[in-house]
Amino acid sequence: MSRFLFVVPPLVGHLNPTIAVARELSRRGHEVAWAGHADICGPRLPPGSTLFSLGDASRNEFFRPALERSQRVRGLESLQFLWESLLVPLARATRPRITEIIATYAPDVLVVDQQALGGALAARASGLPWATFATTSAGVTDPLAALPKVKSWVDAQLAELEREAGLTRAAAPGAADLSPRCAIIFSTDALVGPLEQFPPHFHFVGPSISDRPDATPFPFEQLAPAQRRVLISLGTVSPDRAGDFYATCVSALAGGPWQAIVVAPDGRIPNPPANFIVRARVPQLALLPHCHAVICHAGHNTTVEALAHGLPLVVAPIRDDQPVIAEQVVRAQCGVRVKFGRLTPAALREALVRVLDEPSFAQAAARVRASFEAAGGATTAAKHLEGLAA
Amino acid sequence: MNEAQVDGEGAVLAKVAKLLREVIGEEWATDVEITRETSFNEDLELESIEFVALAEKLQNEFGARVDFAGWLANQELEQIIRLRVGEVVDFITRCLSSSDKA
Repeated sequence: MSRFLFVVPPLVGHLNPTIAVARELSRRGHEVAWAGHADICGPRLPPGSTLFSLGDASRNEFFRPALERSQRVRGLESLQFLWESLLVPLARATRPRITEIIATYAPDVLVVDQQALGGALAARASGLPWATFATTSAGVTDPLAALPKVKSWVDAQLAELEREAGLTRAAAPGAADLSPRCAIIFSTDALVGPLEQFPPHFHFVGPSISDRPDATPFPFEQLAPAQRRVLISLGTVSPDRAGDFYATCVSALAGGPWQAIVVAPDGRIPNPPANFIVRARVPQLALLPHCHAVICHAGHNTTVEALAHGLPLVVAPIRDDQPVIAEQVVRAQCGVRVKFGRLTPAALREALVRVLDEPSFAQAAARVRASFEAAGGATTAAKHLEGLAA
Repeated sequence: MNEAQVDGEGAVLAKVAKLLREVIGEEWATDVEITRETSFNEDLELESIEFVALAEKLQNEFGARVDFAGWLANQELEQIIRLRVGEVVDFITRCLSSSDKA
């Protein structure tokens, strides 16, 4: 029996993949706990989970302004913003407490989300074996390869955090946020390309989505049995950034030969058309088996969850890793990319008709699903983590 | 007559605008006006991977004389965020005229 501590940032999408892996570790006789923000993790972890609180994210002075400003930044400015306004302050705010939690809980292995930099710094200082969870594969695919000065800028942020933590520089430049022994990436070669380009301790296990409990109610009886059903979601971070997106969806899809299930904050789609179901939250994993296509922002979790169900996608990336994930979808030929900021109803409708009517998209999505199933997901991730404890 | 003499600054701008529209690849982009003042970040929302695609297209269009990828590799993050189409046009024009003299 070993003891595993998961360290997560206050972002729901980064918490979700830990839940199935933790459950698998428990099933195999291990003990698990989380270090995370109480207001984000508390309501979402399975009952009976052990959570060491990093405080409430909503009470962090930088967190809410950061989320609000994140609605407005775009392009490469969103990279600068993500590091300066969120990742670095978060690392500074959480590292001391994570160090205390490690001393209290005495885990055998730390499992640190790539964006929980305070966890990576504390793990390195502790000398314990630790793994990185790359919740988005964009964290390891080097999308900045052509912009070395931008990479240097990111590395300088990491170097400053290392200096503050009294750590020597990580051996590989730009790898301060990655475990030198084990990185778990929740994707496969069907999306990221040939695995030979990655170091041998990068493990591509596919999405970790099995068994995530979700009691969110949904009116399944309203699903139209004879229609093709399309889920439209901007994930858990981006819905406020939606601007005219929902209005474009209504114009594009109202009265069409499909049923649209839209995840949108209350009041954003007043008087939805008859072929729409609008909900503030949905039980996404339970709903996807009833769907035929997904329109989303190319957030990593929503994208891989759709593909795990063999569903073709229309992707409208907004920022951060989303353009990279959208590009993966296009290259894998399992979806069509549209431009979020300038989307017209005609373009969205045309994209949806293509992914629904041209069988090649669903066939490509089925190939991605098969690669996910072969990769083993949470079970494979748990085996790699056990290897670190040995 | 070689290509550099044909390519005045206005012609370079037209070519860059055409290639940018291809990179962005959207129906709206065929109508949007791309001028020297158009910002890569604010107006076009160009992502890092789209910069790479643009570099490839410029290479195909202008040949090895225009090493946009090499130029881009020397830009700081702040410079890329502030980058406007006119700066790229000027860079290409400089490359073409210096290779013309060589």
